[in-house]
Amino acid sequence: MSMRSITLGHYIPGNSPLHQLDPRVKLISLFILIAALFFIKTFCGLILFTFFIVAVFISSRLPKKYFFRGLKPIFYIVLFTLILHFFFTKGGEVYWRLGALTVEEAGVFLGTFMTLRLILLVITTLLVTLTTSPVAFADGIEYLLRPLRPLGVPGYEIAMMMTIALRFIPTLMEESDKIRKAQMARGADFESGNIFRRARNLIPLLVPLFVSAFRRADELAVAMEARCYRGGEKRTKMRELQTKPLDYVGILTAGGICLAILLTGI
Amino acid sequence: MLIETRNLSYVYMPGTPFQVEALKDITIGIEKGSFVGIIGETGSGKSTLVQHFNGLLKPTSGEVLVDGKNIWSQNYDLRALRSRIALLFQFPEHQLFEETVFKDVAFGPRNLGLEGEELALRVRMGLELMGLNYEAYRNRSPFTLSGGEKRRVALAGILAMQPEAIILDEPTAGMDPLGRRNLLQLIERLHREENLTIILVTHNMEEIARLADRLLVFFRGEIVLQGTPGDVFASAEQLRQIGLDVPPLTQLLQELRRRGKNICTDHFTAEDVAAEILCLLRGEDRL
Repeated sequence: MSMRSITLGHYIPGNSPLHQLDPRVKLISLFILIAALFFIKTFCGLILFTFFIVAVFISSRLPKKYFFRGLKPIFYIVLFTLILHFFFTKGGEVYWRLGALTVEEAGVFLGTFMTLRLILLVITTLLVTLTTSPVAFADGIEYLLRPLRPLGVPGYEIAMMMTIALRFIPTLMEESDKIRKAQMARGADFESGNIFRRARNLIPLLVPLFVSAFRRADELAVAMEARCYRGGEKRTKMRELQTKPLDYVGILTAGGICLAILLTGI
Repeated sequence: MLIETRNLSYVYMPGTPFQVEALKDITIGIEKGSFVGIIGETGSGKSTLVQHFNGLLKPTSGEVLVDGKNIWSQNYDLRALRSRIALLFQFPEHQLFEETVFKDVAFGPRNLGLEGEELALRVRMGLELMGLNYEAYRNRSPFTLSGGEKRRVALAGILAMQPEAIILDEPTAGMDPLGRRNLLQLIERLHREENLTIILVTHNMEEIARLADRLLVFFRGEIVLQGTPGDVFASAEQLRQIGLDVPPLTQLLQELRRRGKNICTDHFTAEDVAAEILCLLRGEDRL
C-alpha cells in the first residue's frame, strides 16, 4: 500500500522520442523551459505553452491515469496558492465581499495565473523525471557539473551519491514495508493515537530500518572496494553519452520557445 | 477449518504500469492442528498468500475466513487475529529493535495488554520453548547475539503471544546445517507438543517432505498441486517443470521402482528409506 503512494517522479521505461533524448539535453531543456515559464507575462502565453506541453506529453506515450495520479501530491499547494491570492491580492474591481474579506480582480487574475504556472512547472518536470532513468539522470548531472570542477565542485561524487541514493529508495521502501508488517504481526499499532504516541510507536519500525540501512551501506562499500572503485578523473563509462540529431531538435525547440517568449513579450 | 480462502486474488500496484498479478483465484482450507507446507519457486506467490492469513494484505478480490468469519468484514478485530495467527517473516532477526532480549520478546505480549508478572512469564515461556535460557539471555542486547540466536529470539517473541497458528516464511534461510536442524526440531516439537497449527513456506523439499502432513505447490500465483507429500512428490515430472524437485532420498526410491523393483516411494527420512531398501534386499535374498 505504501508503494502505491510514491508515484511522483518514478521512472517509467519506454521508447518514445522523449525517452530517447540525451539526459543532458533533457536537463538543459528543462532549465530553459522553466525559465521560459517565468518569463511569460500573459494568459495567452501560458495557453500556448500548455499546447506545447500537451504535445510533448502525447509524444511521450506515458499512461495518462498514472501520470495524473502523480500530480495529486501538489493539489493542496495549488489550492493554497489559489486561495491566498484570491483573498489577499488586492486591486481592481471587487467581485465578492463578506465583511472584511473581499475577492478582487487582481487576486483572481494572479491566483489563476500562478496556479496554472505552478501546474505547468510540475508537469514539465514530471515529463523529464518520468522518462529518464535514474542512472541516465545522474550521468547527465555529472556531465553538466564538469565545468565547475576547477571551482571544487565534486561532480563525480555528487553523481555517484545520487545514483546510490536513488538506487536504494525502492530497496528501503520495501524493507520498511516488510518491517512494518512484521511488527504489525506482533500487534504493533501504527495507525491510532495522538501524534506523540504515534511517533513513539514508530521506534519498532525506525530502529530496524536504520540498522539495516547501515548494514547495507557497509556491504555496498565493501563491494565497491572489492571492485577497486575509485571515483574521479580517469573513470570510464560503459555507456558514453552521445548526442543524436533528435537531441539538437530538442534543445533548439526549448531554446526557440524561450527566445520567442522573450522577444514577443507574451 | 481454521483458515479458508475463497477465490482469493491479489494484484500488486494495480492501475500502474508496474502492476503484477500475484495470486489468481486461490481457494484453500487449512485445518486446525495441521502442518501445511507451501512450496514453489521464488516469486510464485507463497509469501503473498500467507500475508493474507492474518490480514496484513487485503485481497484485491475474494475472501479470507478465519473460523468461518470474513476477516475483512466490518468491526473485525485484526489485531486480535494477528495474536492468534502469528507470522514470522524471512530473516526475522531484522525486526529486532529493543535494548534487551526481554524487552524485544515482550513487545508482542505487551501489545496484547499484558504486564508485570504475567508478561515475564510469557517471555520466559517463549525463550525456553526456543531453547534459550531465560536468565542468561534476558538482559543481553539482541544486536550482540549470533544469527541463529537472533532468529530464535524473534521466534520466541512470536511464541510469547501464545498463538494458535504460526506462519513461518523460510525460517531456515541462510542457516548452517546444525542451526537448521535445531530450529526444525523446535518447530516440530511446537506442532507435536503444543498442538500449534504450522504453516511453513520453504524451498527445501527434504525438510518439508518430512515435516508437513499437507503440501500446497505454487506456480505463478496458482496452486498447481496439493495433497500429502507422498501424492505431491509422486508427480516428479510436473514438479521439475515448475522449477522444483523431489527430495534426493525419494528420488532414489522412485528410480529403484522405475527399474522394476517392488518398492514403496512414500518415504522421506533416511531411516525410513534405509528400512525400505533393507526390506527389499531381504525379500530378494529370500527368493
